[in-house]
Amino acid sequence: MPKIETAEQVKRFQEHCKSALDRFPIVVSLCNGTACCAMGAKELAAAFEKELAGDESVKFIKSGCHGFCEVGPLVVVRPLDVVYQRVKPDDVPEIVDRSLRHNEVIDRLLYRFGDGGKVFAKEGEIPFYSNQSKVVLALNSLIDPYSIDDYLAYGGYSALARALEMTPDAVLKEITDANLRGRGGGGFDAGRKWNSCRTAAGERRHIVCNADEGDPGAFMDESILEGNPHSVIEGMVIGAWAIGGDDGFIYIRNEYPRALKAFGNALKQAREYGFLGENILSSGLDFDIKVSRGGGAFVCGESSALFRSLEGEVGEPRAKYVHSVERGYRDEPTNLNNVETWANVPHIINRGAEWFRSTGTKDSPGTKVFSLVGKVENTGLIEVPMGITLREIIFDIGGGIKGGKNFKAVQTGGPSGGCLPASSLDLPVDFDVLTRAGSMMGSGGMIVMDEETCVVDVAKYFTDFLIEESCGKCLPCREGLMHMSGILHRITEGKGKPEDLRRLVKLGDAVAAASLCGLGVSAPNPVLSSIRYFEDEYLAHINEHRCPGSVCSALISYHIDPAMCTGCGTCEKVCPVDAIKPVPDEERKDGLLREIDADVCEKCSACKEVCPEEAIVVESPAVTTEHYRENVTEMR
Amino acid sequence: MLAVQEKYNWLPSEALDYVSRRLNVRKPRIYHIATFYKVFSLAPRGKHILQLCMGTACHVRGAKLIADAMARQHGLQFGKTTDDGLFTLERVNCLGACAIGPILVVDGEYKGNMTTNRANAIIKRLKREETGGEGGNA
Amino acid sequence: MEETSVKMLKLTIDGIETEAREGETILQVAERLMIDIPTLCHWKFVKPYGACRICTVEIEVHGKTRMVPSCSYKVRDGMVVKTRSEEVIKHRKMLLELMLARHSQVEVVRKLAHEYGVDTTRFEEMPSEQCINCGLCVRVCDEVVGANALTFVKRGTERYVSTPFEGEAESCIACGACAYVCPTGHITVQDIRDRKYVFSELALGPTTPIHIPFAAAIPGIPVIDSHTCIHMQTGGCGICSKVCEPDAIDYEMQDTFEEMEVGSIILATGYKTFDPKRAEQYGYGRLDNVITSLEFEHMSHASGPTGGAFVKADGSEPKSVAILHCIGSRDKNYNEYCSRVCCMYSLKIAHLIREKVPDADIYELYIDMRCPGSGYEEFYNRLLEEGVHFIRGKGVEVSQMPTLATTTPVASNSKLYVKCEDTLLGMPRELPVDMVILSVGLEPAADAEEVARVFKISSKADGFFMEKHPKLAPIDTLSDGIFIAGCAQGPKDIPDSVAQGAAAAAAAMSLIDAGEVALEPITSVVDEEVCTGCKTCLVVCPYGAISFDEEKHVSVINDALCKACGCCVAACPSGAITQRGFDDTQIEAELAALLM
Repeated sequence: MPKIETAEQVKRFQEHCKSALDRFPIVVSLCNGTACCAMGAKELAAAFEKELAGDESVKFIKSGCHGFCEVGPLVVVRPLDVVYQRVKPDDVPEIVDRSLRHNEVIDRLLYRFGDGGKVFAKEGEIPFYSNQSKVVLALNSLIDPYSIDDYLAYGGYSALARALEMTPDAVLKEITDANLRGRGGGGFDAGRKWNSCRTAAGERRHIVCNADEGDPGAFMDESILEGNPHSVIEGMVIGAWAIGGDDGFIYIRNEYPRALKAFGNALKQAREYGFLGENILSSGLDFDIKVSRGGGAFVCGESSALFRSLEGEVGEPRAKYVHSVERGYRDEPTNLNNVETWANVPHIINRGAEWFRSTGTKDSPGTKVFSLVGKVENTGLIEVPMGITLREIIFDIGGGIKGGKNFKAVQTGGPSGGCLPASSLDLPVDFDVLTRAGSMMGSGGMIVMDEETCVVDVAKYFTDFLIEESCGKCLPCREGLMHMSGILHRITEGKGKPEDLRRLVKLGDAVAAASLCGLGVSAPNPVLSSIRYFEDEYLAHINEHRCPGSVCSALISYHIDPAMCTGCGTCEKVCPVDAIKPVPDEERKDGLLREIDADVCEKCSACKEVCPEEAIVVESPAVTTEHYRENVTEMR
Repeated sequence: MLAVQEKYNWLPSEALDYVSRRLNVRKPRIYHIATFYKVFSLAPRGKHILQLCMGTACHVRGAKLIADAMARQHGLQFGKTTDDGLFTLERVNCLGACAIGPILVVDGEYKGNMTTNRANAIIKRLKREETGGEGGNA
Repeated sequence: MEETSVKMLKLTIDGIETEAREGETILQVAERLMIDIPTLCHWKFVKPYGACRICTVEIEVHGKTRMVPSCSYKVRDGMVVKTRSEEVIKHRKMLLELMLARHSQVEVVRKLAHEYGVDTTRFEEMPSEQCINCGLCVRVCDEVVGANALTFVKRGTERYVSTPFEGEAESCIACGACAYVCPTGHITVQDIRDRKYVFSELALGPTTPIHIPFAAAIPGIPVIDSHTCIHMQTGGCGICSKVCEPDAIDYEMQDTFEEMEVGSIILATGYKTFDPKRAEQYGYGRLDNVITSLEFEHMSHASGPTGGAFVKADGSEPKSVAILHCIGSRDKNYNEYCSRVCCMYSLKIAHLIREKVPDADIYELYIDMRCPGSGYEEFYNRLLEEGVHFIRGKGVEVSQMPTLATTTPVASNSKLYVKCEDTLLGMPRELPVDMVILSVGLEPAADAEEVARVFKISSKADGFFMEKHPKLAPIDTLSDGIFIAGCAQGPKDIPDSVAQGAAAAAAAMSLIDAGEVALEPITSVVDEEVCTGCKTCLVVCPYGAISFDEEKHVSVINDALCKACGCCVAACPSGAITQRGFDDTQIEAELAALLM
């Protein structure tokens, strides 16, 4: 394949790719995202390949994540435009036969909402999709991430061609006008950042993409890298043109082997086509990107730590009073943006700053990708305009809380963000509003919690996570978090003291004020925000030894509701410690057939998982087996 | 070092010596790096690597219960290898498949929607396979 | 000029308006103003680290207030700094309280916390750890020393300082810098008394690489020991040059040779002490508490390594000491001569020990006491009265276990047993003691032979320089204008050395005073026309009187040195050298006259 050397050639080649794609009347796109794979997409792909072997009319794509992970594996058939969900290998012959050959819709594989509720066939009709506006993720279900031709067929790299015909200043102006804010968490103005890096003194300038998506519960960057790696490359090359970058790096966390593979392949192709390397599209720009793998350290998402890690050192943050744009990687000017930010760049160049600003809010324009997870009906990857309310995200797109339970809180911004209560549901989601509410945008993890989640437990979880991930360099973060965790553990064990809350707040303030890097400064957020909004839950733990979410194992006890129990004995079989015993006939009362011995029970929840009648109940504060037996009527 | 780790599954001291010489980096620095990053292991790892996702979404969906159960019933603790050298349980923070959490990765294979019961079954099956092969006449 | 290009910034610290150079940290400026900001992880010779956060101060720039660590935060124009605002104190207290929970027994932490009124912690206390993870040792080893032997291990709360695999660090140069900077005393240098680590001239303890060679050295300028200086080993450190305001440190300086022209030379090259390692039976170098008399001298000096305290290798006080005379002297195996000074200095040592450890058992093992000299015998008598045990019999052997059946072993694992023949009692004895001091004899200086060769003077059989005449010319040598004084000529004590030195000086002065020397009438002379430049004469001249003129390529005889011995005349193969008054024709004429 000869290198593409001019903008004109890009255009011609795009058309060539498009016509190649158009030759297939039918397209089957199988979601090959991490979640779908874990649910059997691999076997499914094999089945499709077998079934479609030799069929020239069908293009079969193993695409990146479609987003609707809840009901995977997903299969989309075009132009029929139908989404099949939870597809099994056995369904494949039927799909091929009926949908592909005869244009029929297979009813039983369609998505349904609610109990026997509405059936949705088309992608655009499903509420999960219809309420989104996809930009960065738009191509995810359409292209094969391993094919640069597919990307070109959908207009890929035309932004690069366009940008290289503009002056770097003009590109910079476009980005600045678009008011693109960093999608990695801080929301820093990308245009300003680019400009400072461009003007900073230094011989070499580095362009770095942060793909160390360490926030647990977030997989936006992973999905972009897996689903549309070329958009990130294109963004970075445009950045290099505007900033005057000499070389590029992408720091991908080691936990994402699939993203590493997809991106590595994309780099290879981009080099072959001449979008990377020397004299890109005859513009005189020499630029290439190296992949650097992380080592499992959350703190490396912090910019100064990331640079140390890139240099092959231990990922310890440094005092950041000199901005990384001036002294980043190897103490040279470095422009660091995250995956999603880079992926937005080609769209801005293609469609202009004006278009970009037309979505979202005034101060936070554009769209944002979130991973909507937790106790929500429709988990998955979504892209929505900034300014959308949390309620719209959780209830309209997310389909509300799983199992029709009540909403309790939503955690945004990962371990550095905060918990927001129901009263915040109508807040528009943008950088500034979330920060004011005591949380933050973060990179886009959104974890929904229902009434069966304990906020103290979640705060404890995040604090423990951060202790594990803290580099341990500075005292407040290292020691402060440890003591915060200690107090939280005490509270969840029912040993909390009334003064604990005040102490947590004071300690949290000190850690936030005195820590060295962003990890430490934002580390107390989960605790502080949950105290701010859910003080009553903390007090319930401390004063009543009651866990409102029935989570904290020291404060709960498992029992069998005689009214529900049918005596099937499934629970007895799974109990690893033999805590479940039939009640002797003479003691049977109120239809009690089996009983969990609270002294033996280890609260592993195995019984609750298997009980077909949902007869296993959790009481908090914990009560003895006898007490429950005596008072079962009132307790119910 | 990632390459060494992949080849041997852990980082023996000699390997670090080699890396130190090859890269001309003093050994203390290498040692810090090896202990700082979670992917590196300075002790041999078990035959089967179990990685339990303790990401937020998985946590909210009960990953902790699974971790507790594994510790209690099989003596598996995070970062430790069982005495028989069969299993190493590792804690990972989010594998990016939160929709199907909790996730247990068994020797590189993702197993979604994990429960204490399913995790138990997996470990028991692996144990059976191991002893079954050798203990035929036992 | 760089000086002028530095921007000066105005700022206010605790109400004091001041100026600072761009790039300075708040802490640097505060230090200049004598404003105390506490810190636990900062040392001015390593890069700011910002780990302890105790130095956090409140700043206000453009109306915005922030908390920043003063050690690493650079000053900005118009900045207002408050180092002790309510907010600052609040945070500092909280941090100290946190520290106290983990480091309750660490003195610096307790002290600092106490200053801030924090004596107890509300947090769960843990077993006190000495290391506060300030990282000073790691950074000093890396940035200053350049050895990079230490590292942090792991991360987060599990973080600690160690060496790779907790083993012995290959790159450690045992400089002790880490222990020096450690604020809590967590790092100690082990085996400081192990001779491996000792780098002073005597094996008693370390001195710093920079030191004045000895008290009253002239000139009194410190020198850098290139074997122990960190900079010379690793290229790092360089702290001395940073702190030296007159900028007098020059690492490039090399030893230099000075040439001068003189009319007369006094050789007073001294002696060296006998190396007792040659006499293995005394266990020197093998047994911890066997030292030489000179080492004792060093130790007992107030400026010595122990500050004058008399201690054993483990730091405890010896309760019994044996002083063994004539080590290396009066011994056919080593030196047959008497070193003359040992008896008296051994008495002095006993006296000093008696002073330092009044109840010690002190033994002097001698062959005979030689105390001639003013007041010497009296001093001996005084020592007898001081209760020093004198045993007539030479020490034979020092061992850790008794070797004689008659000896009752003492229940202590650090005792030494000194075997001797008590010639007054007529029986062998074995003394259990804590320490043995070897009164080593005097030997010619190590380079005496070389010196003799250079100056063309003779040495005696024992290696000391030979005088012109043992009775009539004890300071002269056979070469005119070269004199010898002190122990270069033979063992002698200080008064004798001083006397001989003064005599030599006077002899030299008499030459200078005369201003000229009377030449011998008969000297040899080279006929430059005939000399082939073979240099045979240079080798044979016993007085070093012949030099070689490279330009003319002929030998030249110095008339002042020539003693007219005639060696060169006889040796000259071309017959170019003749002796004045004794040329061939004259000799032949004399012979003819005699034979006629």
